[in-house]
Amino acid sequence: MSDLDRLRRAMRVTERPGVTLDVASILHEGRRLRTRRRVAGAGATTLAVGLAAVVVVVVVNAGPDDPGPPPVAGAATSPVTVAPAPSNSPWPTPPSTTPPPTTMAGRESPPKLLGKIITSGVEYGADQRVFFFVRVTVPGEPRVTIGLAAGRRSPDGTLTSDYLINDVEGSDRGPGFHQIGYDQNTSAAPVPTFGYFVGPASRIVGTVDGRKVAARLAPWSVDPQVVIFWFDPADLTPGDRLDGIVAYDHKNRGL
Amino acid sequence: MARGDADFVEFAQAASARLVHAAFLMTGDHHLAEDAAQTALVRTYASWSRVRDDDAYGYARRILVNHLVDGWRRPIREYPTEEIPERRREDVADEVATRGWLTAILGALSPRERAIVVLRYYFDLPEAQVARELAISVGTVKSTSSRALEKLRANGLRAADSQEACR
Repeated sequence: MSDLDRLRRAMRVTERPGVTLDVASILHEGRRLRTRRRVAGAGATTLAVGLAAVVVVVVVNAGPDDPGPPPVAGAATSPVTVAPAPSNSPWPTPPSTTPPPTTMAGRESPPKLLGKIITSGVEYGADQRVFFFVRVTVPGEPRVTIGLAAGRRSPDGTLTSDYLINDVEGSDRGPGFHQIGYDQNTSAAPVPTFGYFVGPASRIVGTVDGRKVAARLAPWSVDPQVVIFWFDPADLTPGDRLDGIVAYDHKNRGL
Repeated sequence: MARGDADFVEFAQAASARLVHAAFLMTGDHHLAEDAAQTALVRTYASWSRVRDDDAYGYARRILVNHLVDGWRRPIREYPTEEIPERRREDVADEVATRGWLTAILGALSPRERAIVVLRYYFDLPEAQVARELAISVGTVKSTSSRALEKLRANGLRAADSQEACR
């Protein structure tokens, strides 16, 4: 028997034929997910339009002394409450067990932009790939308040969001890596693999197919312990899954 | 129950065991495996009207594998248990030994390597289909698969010869 035959055989003989799952629960959760997808689909358009509209107003009004990041919160002083969304949605993603808010579409507001916008250096024609944090609210998760968006900024300052990642449980400031965003092949502008790390990282290295790839880093203006990272598309093809990722401090010690 | 629901229930009952076992091969943990299979079936049901007449099993398998590959960086939940596996067969000792051996050698692989090994050698999918399901290139499937097999051999795939000979 060859190695591969032995492997195949071992995989098959260890099957447990009597396994049953709770089909009633699957149907129940599936219906809820279907409903949430419909609600989220309606909301995604609102987000893109809302961000773009608010930023245009800020650009017009900004004077020479205007110091900081565009206060996109201008039209959104309250946090966004969100409906659970599919993984490629630009909306924040609550836990799958969270029941959806019931009347989302009518009372959503543009998310509050937090801190400075990070320019990645990745360009799509005249548009730039940017990253920025927004305020999010995940039902039942009070310690999840921020989400990291991969967006694009056009020459006139218009900001659009392609993809937003956020924790779905625990604390969004817990040490270590948080959610990592991969291109979902839904945009004409592929989203570089991106995410954030909480801790004193001065270098982040991903592994894919045994190859080490260094990420580019930028501290978040609101909390320097939060380090935004992304992989240049020339180094890591958008959508390619990492096999591993490690952060190092300034003494090159693994974190 | 609507006809679509009845179809789905039949599908879920038929597919559960293989999906759970595939997830077990990828995680080495029965609880995580059942959670993952349940998640895959929930998502399949949510898209049932779209996938029922296509390749529903392939859709569920793709959801399952990508869900597990994506999950490698999330905290692993542990389920301490005193539960003793039910003894259902006379050859349960052999099966437990084989499962232990399999879990040990698969444990040497990265999540993606494990996914590729399961898709290639448990589901017997061709490389091109594995590439499509994981949204990676065929070249990546080949190189990852080759590396995974090297690791498996280094960690005991060949040693099974002597293991079997001793029985």
